[in-house]
Amino acid sequence: MAQAVRAFAPDGAGREPVPVLSALRPVVPGGGLRPGSVVGVGGHGAGTLGLALVAGASRHGGADGAGGWCAVVGMPDAGVAAAAGMGAAPQRLLLVDDPGDRWPDVVAALVEAVDLVLLRPPERPGAAAARRLSALARRHGCVLALAAFADAWPGVRLRLRVDESRWEGVGAGHGVLRARRARVSAEGRGGAWLWLPGPSGEVAPAERTRTRLEIVA
Amino acid sequence: MGGRGARVTADRVLAVWCPDWPATAVGIDAATPGAVVEGGRLAACTAAARAVGVRRGQRVRDAQRRCPDLVVRERDAGAEGRLFETVAEAVAELVPKVEVVRPGLCAVPARGAARFYGGEEALRVHLQDAVVEAGYDCGAGIADGLFAAELAARRGGGVVVPEGGTAAFLAPLPLWVLDRPELAGLLDRLGVRTLGDFAALPAASVADRFGADGAAAHRLARGEEPRPLAPAAATAERTVRAAFDPPAERAEQVVFTAKRLAGELHAALAAGGTTCVRLAVTIGFADGRVLERLWRHDGTLSSAAVAERVRWQLAAWRPEPGTDDAVWGGVAWVELAPDQLVPDTGRQQALWGQSAVTERVARAADRVQALLGHAGVVRPLLVAGRDPGERVVRVPVGDLPPDGRPDGPWPGGVPGPAPAAVPPEPLPAEVTDAAGARVTVSARCAVSAPPAWIAVGGGPAEEVAAWTGPWPVAERWWDPARARRRARFQVVTAGGRAYLAAVEGGRWRIEAVYD
Repeated sequence: MAQAVRAFAPDGAGREPVPVLSALRPVVPGGGLRPGSVVGVGGHGAGTLGLALVAGASRHGGADGAGGWCAVVGMPDAGVAAAAGMGAAPQRLLLVDDPGDRWPDVVAALVEAVDLVLLRPPERPGAAAARRLSALARRHGCVLALAAFADAWPGVRLRLRVDESRWEGVGAGHGVLRARRARVSAEGRGGAWLWLPGPSGEVAPAERTRTRLEIVA
Repeated sequence: MGGRGARVTADRVLAVWCPDWPATAVGIDAATPGAVVEGGRLAACTAAARAVGVRRGQRVRDAQRRCPDLVVRERDAGAEGRLFETVAEAVAELVPKVEVVRPGLCAVPARGAARFYGGEEALRVHLQDAVVEAGYDCGAGIADGLFAAELAARRGGGVVVPEGGTAAFLAPLPLWVLDRPELAGLLDRLGVRTLGDFAALPAASVADRFGADGAAAHRLARGEEPRPLAPAAATAERTVRAAFDPPAERAEQVVFTAKRLAGELHAALAAGGTTCVRLAVTIGFADGRVLERLWRHDGTLSSAAVAERVRWQLAAWRPEPGTDDAVWGGVAWVELAPDQLVPDTGRQQALWGQSAVTERVARAADRVQALLGHAGVVRPLLVAGRDPGERVVRVPVGDLPPDGRPDGPWPGGVPGPAPAAVPPEPLPAEVTDAAGARVTVSARCAVSAPPAWIAVGGGPAEEVAAWTGPWPVAERWWDPARARRRARFQVVTAGGRAYLAAVEGGRWRIEAVYD
């Protein structure tokens, strides 16, 4: 019964938010992604940001917070090792590298089963397909994260983007990429400086980490 | 099974072997020179073809040169499985507990049946006649253990190897009968040419030198069970079962459920660190009839492969040829029971640990596989590797992860955080210095000039703000055909992008993007 009530709750109201990594909580309104919503990610560093959303749902999602299932569709280049470094559990990931023109049907099947689908549509999505998938995501409480064509998708409530970023650790012919400081914001709101990723692959607030690094240096 | 305990000596087994089964299954008569091809090479050929010099493994055009009127057909694994059900059924009429090892070979326990039919030779002849009457040429042999029994069945129509005489029967045979070409090659260089020579080696040394699979082969050569049976045969609690209400009328529905059950069973076995030698598939029909079949498993069947065997099993029981997918009377339940648990030594099935695919996820994956094919949806498995692209193995949902994973240490791995974008194939790139000349790296790892511009995949050149390298990577230097020598760089552009670039043979490529 509770499940039936949840299923009919409009627009994800009354459902637990799909969790994000703790470092991203200051950026995301409400501290989590609204179930059934569509999220756009963009800017230089959108790849990492999309995987960070996967990592949050994968690590902290699921029915009892023990970890949720995620799917990545249309991104054969998705860095699974990077996602794992941010906290994703590869054993709860499904990858559909090449959905071709059946991608709307593939996404429709997956939103019923997983907490979050990270999608890069192989073509500009049609309005009808986008509306259908948005409705299915809403009904099943699955977050649809768009790594491309977020501007062509009606009803995107949250747009996350990397405004500025800077890699650290490499000089002129020496060093090694160590970490990236990035300013991440939700459209129309203030942002936050993050390590995206930090020296060991994780996502962390930048101020604190920077202080520590300076002491070490 | 309970009383077998830790017994190592193999039990008496009768094997029924149908020669050139892939050819028989596609309807080529043994008297016709014919062959079955798979991937451009011969997977099997008939006796008539062999007589004129056609051999398994040949290219099709080589075979056709030797035998111009050769009948060539594509291999049909499904037909092999379905048709062999007829053979298994003929055997089951006489001895109920038939185990299908693979299409073309089945086995029954010989001890009890031999008593009933008045001796092992009488049983052997009786079974062979039954299969030949069903319309298929076959050999039948009896020996200690399945391995020796198959070899006995293949020898001139079949022989009975007396009890305890298996080691002597095996001793003069060449090593290739073990079907482990690498092991046979190594042993050959050590001067070991026959199974008898191999069996004479001390077991502990064989296990040390050749690993779990080598030890299993050694036990085979000595006429023992390839793996010691697990002392606790607690198979009953591992049995998985699903009921259909109303009875399933279409084979597809049963096969789909069997795939899910197999997934559950594999997860449960892996959690206990065991695998099963055989799998009993029992199908109950709505009218009360029960169909049971044993399939060889050995921990190597994926869920999809188990489902395929259920399909074969059902195919033999169609009411009439016209009704294509209808299951006879409806299936009321299906049950998978592991038979003979053994400790899982050589394979790593528990890689995904407790994160078994949930039912909801399995259903979604199945719908995606229906759209895109079996390999359309995969689960990633992180392994050790030097390239970012080598670090992920993609395993189709429902398949077992591959064994023999390479694990560390990997000199030359890229330090620092993993890149967020790893293209399946490296992207072509151009890296130039301030004067516009391509940056090169000498054999002594000296850079011709600092990189100033980078253009990725034919796009516009971006200014290089910072770079580091070269990091030399020499791979498989011991193998001239597969050796690679590369030099890696990390390049950060003025626009804030970062790339993992590599130059090899004067050509630049982007291996990963720190997007």
